[in-house]
Amino acid sequence: MGTVVEATAIATADEPVPSAIGLADAAARACLERAGRGPDDVQLLINAGVYLDRNISEPAIAALIQEDIGANPEIQPGGGQGTLSFDVRNGACGVLTGMYLVDGLLTSGTVQCGMVVGCDVDPEPGISEGFGFMAAAGAVLLSRDDARPGLTAFKFKTFPEFAQEFHSHVAWQEDPGNGGGRNMLTIMIDEHYPAHALACAEATVRELAIDTELDLDEVDLLIATASVPDFAAALGQRLGITQARIASLADGFTGAHTAAAAIAREAVLPVPGTSRSALVVSAGAGITVAAAVHRM
Amino acid sequence: MAEMETSVRSGEHWMALEGGRDGSPGGRAWPSRFAAIGAYLPSPRLTTDQLMATTRYETDIELERLTGVRERHVVGRDDDSYTLAFEAARDALAHAEFGAEDLDMLIVSSISRHVGGVWRTQIEPPVSVSLKHALGAPHAVSFDISNACAGMMTGVFLLNDFIRQGRIRRGMVVSGEYISELGRNAAQEVRDVMSDQLPSLTLGDAGAAAVLERAPDSDGHIEVAGFTTLSEHSRLCVAFPSKIGPGTTMHTNGREIHRVGVVDAVPLLREVLDQAGLEFADIDYFIPHQTSARAIKKAMVEFAQQLGGTPRHVVVTVDELGNTASTTHFVALWKYLNEGRFTEGDRVMLLSLASGLEVGIIIFRVGELVEHYGHGR
Repeated sequence: MGTVVEATAIATADEPVPSAIGLADAAARACLERAGRGPDDVQLLINAGVYLDRNISEPAIAALIQEDIGANPEIQPGGGQGTLSFDVRNGACGVLTGMYLVDGLLTSGTVQCGMVVGCDVDPEPGISEGFGFMAAAGAVLLSRDDARPGLTAFKFKTFPEFAQEFHSHVAWQEDPGNGGGRNMLTIMIDEHYPAHALACAEATVRELAIDTELDLDEVDLLIATASVPDFAAALGQRLGITQARIASLADGFTGAHTAAAAIAREAVLPVPGTSRSALVVSAGAGITVAAAVHRM
Repeated sequence: MAEMETSVRSGEHWMALEGGRDGSPGGRAWPSRFAAIGAYLPSPRLTTDQLMATTRYETDIELERLTGVRERHVVGRDDDSYTLAFEAARDALAHAEFGAEDLDMLIVSSISRHVGGVWRTQIEPPVSVSLKHALGAPHAVSFDISNACAGMMTGVFLLNDFIRQGRIRRGMVVSGEYISELGRNAAQEVRDVMSDQLPSLTLGDAGAAAVLERAPDSDGHIEVAGFTTLSEHSRLCVAFPSKIGPGTTMHTNGREIHRVGVVDAVPLLREVLDQAGLEFADIDYFIPHQTSARAIKKAMVEFAQQLGGTPRHVVVTVDELGNTASTTHFVALWKYLNEGRFTEGDRVMLLSLASGLEVGIIIFRVGELVEHYGHGR
């Protein structure tokens, strides 16, 4: 018995200035539809998106999504368990971190069904500096399954020596000609970040393999994302996982940030049962690496 | 309606629940308890009179009379959200019987993320990465969460769950809230008592940390923890970067969020008390979210009417600390622990009512925690 992925879904923007919350709503609704579930089934809703409408700092974006999709927005006498919503902020590792927390609360029985949503948009197009991610959202719906092992192991590691290689902040910029100034998002990704993310991911996976006696040769599928191009293929090469066993982001999705983990899953879910074990890896600012073994 | 106000329903529960009659995990569970509480209050203080003297417009707002907030601590030149959190975490560890290297999980739950100065909000990396490194907690799974003023309570809920199921032994949740800057921004825009930025004038700065551990026995453990989000009210309080200057502005429908918070809390309080087999009057110390003394007083009247009793003590710190957002419950706990107010047998209830609308309730026995602060046996 384990925590399994019931469904995934993605949403992309078809308007020039998309709303992160609107995209997240769309991904969440599509995910529920695929799973044949209603919104009230979601007892835990975690948003892992980082770059959000107007850089809202409260409430949790997950609460706004919960209201929009109609997941137990108000107490219903006799209506079963309600929904708990909050945000996880762990950069590109956010979706996998959210899955770790959902797995925990599913395992204890605190909730019966949980969803993790990742979404990012440029909060202020034309003003933000360095924002190069695509506007996209992804959702993952998780529950327990008596017949499948599901997510069997997680590993998280941080490498603070590379903290400055991927950095973003909102700060006041003086601008006498524009009302005195404005708060502005700036994202800086150093040229060395991709190589270091790769090395950190490899080190984390090898530790996970030792901890869990996982034979990397027996991994059927590698799902790896790090908000930089070609990460999965490069990590596969380092780990000795052949190209045929690597889930790649579809064309047009390589620029996704927190949603990438859900988008990469989407690529492999249409053919369930064809892969027996998947190694799921995310690397992001910190440098933080999250890895998990998913036995399908 | 009367039935609804006293109980959500019988035999089921609306909240996500840990412990109690029907809470998780079913069967055997490891008891979980608070191992230490830490806090850090920056030295400078700002009185309400001083703050209101800086308003751009003549407001005639009697803020102290309306809210009971007399003063609040505010950061000096050397502090920001990160340093508040760091000092609180160190203080908590100084009262724990183990070190940072023994932590299995570290959660940062601040709303404000000013790092490297008070005018810069860090988005990535998560603040927990540098805090974990600075504290020396290499084995901890670390991440940030964001859940408005319920952030620390959410962190406790997660740690409690993971400890009770045996997945981790020890964890810390920590917040550093540099939010007095919202008050400075509000002072530039507030014109009268109906302003949606009025609640920002009550905010104060603080850091707080809570360390949880697997308890050796069931004495002094967390009895029940419940959480839910009533998202039909999610847009009653929204904060985002200011348009008029550095920092943040928060826009709150204060009267409505207080009204729905109190109404909706009643059946949820009843639910958690039922799960614990308790009455409201069985609580020795009740620590609500600290928004204003008047709001707490009004809520207690409603709770007493609906729940048929009152706790022995209602903790109010907002008069001298202001509303310190996610840290409020734990700064209050830390203050009472240091002042020797608790005895080992005391039962405490924490109630979080936060933007979302997040409702979190935790009931625990103080137990041996008092000994870590030089009191108790």
